[in-house]
Amino acid sequence: MSKSFDDILDECVNRINRGESIEDCLGSYPEHSEQLQPLLSAMFDIQRAYKFTPSSEAKWAARQRFNAAREQLERRREAKPPLLPRIFGRAPAWAAVTAVLLIFLISYFGIIPLLSPEGPGLQPSATGNFAFLISDEVNAIGDFDSLNISISSISLYLSDESGRWIKLDPEVQAVDLTLLQGDRAQEIWRGNVPEGNYTKVFIQVSSVSGILKETGASVDVKLPGDKLHISKPFEVTSGSETNFVYDLTVVAAGSTQSGIKYILKPQVGQSGADQRFELINGKGSNGSGKNHGPKRPRVTPSAPGFGIHIPDAPKIQESGVVSSAMAN
Amino acid sequence: MRREQSTSERRAKEATLAALYDEYYERIARYIYVRLRNQAEAEDLAGEVFLKALESLDSYKERGIPMQAWLFKIAHNMVVDHFRKMAKRKTVPIDAVQIMAESDLQATVEANIELARVTKAVEQLTPVQRRVIELRFFGELTSEEAGQVLNKRAGAVRELQSAAIKRLRKLLHEES
Repeated sequence: MSKSFDDILDECVNRINRGESIEDCLGSYPEHSEQLQPLLSAMFDIQRAYKFTPSSEAKWAARQRFNAAREQLERRREAKPPLLPRIFGRAPAWAAVTAVLLIFLISYFGIIPLLSPEGPGLQPSATGNFAFLISDEVNAIGDFDSLNISISSISLYLSDESGRWIKLDPEVQAVDLTLLQGDRAQEIWRGNVPEGNYTKVFIQVSSVSGILKETGASVDVKLPGDKLHISKPFEVTSGSETNFVYDLTVVAAGSTQSGIKYILKPQVGQSGADQRFELINGKGSNGSGKNHGPKRPRVTPSAPGFGIHIPDAPKIQESGVVSSAMAN
Repeated sequence: MRREQSTSERRAKEATLAALYDEYYERIARYIYVRLRNQAEAEDLAGEVFLKALESLDSYKERGIPMQAWLFKIAHNMVVDHFRKMAKRKTVPIDAVQIMAESDLQATVEANIELARVTKAVEQLTPVQRRVIELRFFGELTSEEAGQVLNKRAGAVRELQSAAIKRLRKLLHEES
């Protein structure tokens, strides 16, 4: 019995998924090639438009979380006493209660922190081994008179054996990106974080407010989500200070006919602990925070009060929040 | 005795799941990305799919559907939950936006325009056609496996796929 066209098309989809070319498949069915070609081209266009390969860091971090959860389950199984003694009271009652409590505590403090960085964050301090800065790569920022963003939390993924999120409560929550163009960066957190290798960072943006230079009107600035992620490994070690620059950029999409849409997104290439920056609004460094250590965390001497308080930090206008995406 | 058997079955299932990780993490991330159009969230959620599967392994019956198809069912439910949570938080997903590492803005803008064009066409498919395309093109499941996810016969999946691709071809052709 000859194959139906649907079956042939299905076979070609399988073959393309396995890495064969459209031509290979058309060659196998020359009698159908005229009909197949445009359909397989459409498939190719769709796959190309959505082309996406997850980063190896993200894959690795997810694998670590999976392994940690598996080990946790195994430990829980080993810790669980046999069923009968528990029922017939060979073990004292308090032991059973303790076991239940222990399982609860392990679940809560062991697994939950792996999944999400909920709960109170680390507080900033005058000195520390880590500083977090915000900067802006120049794209469409020139269209703005001001572009204020409010950052409610920072989360860093520590890829140690357990794999967990470290949450930071920013000291400075509101920044104006128009003041942070190019190498200019503003410190929003400084303090001590656990030493180790970090693979992922996200900031939680609670509001965005943009004013256009040309019209003086507020404009809607979209975000891909309220959490802006980047995967950029860095290391925090003892006796040194790591300065992580998180770079944001605003881009314009669309046309004057269809309307310009502004989008704020993380700029992975300009972010990291190996980026040069010029500190603004900081104290104790004469405005210079430049570092020159490529491909490794920069080390600078800790200076008491360095960039902690920013007296003239721009304020977010509560009434000027224009992005509905930001309202939680 | 029974408990030991159940523990060893559970361990065997965990090992099977762990073995699927390398091959299926990327496929699941891509499948989720098509729905969310946010790379970082797709990466995160793909990781969560495996954690959720680990948590729910007791409910997985080997004779039902293959584990890889079961993972896509979990991924689908997690995407639905994700959108539900986003709706409650009044967040608005943005069309045609990708968080990309490229410095080439022109290429990024062009890619976003193409993505918007293709997305517009895909959104005109029926919901079941769209799921078939997502599972076949991005999850790279076979028609048999996609049928197991969708509770449909493989033949029905092939028919839906054929109709969906023809419709997409027509829509993309009209657009260009």
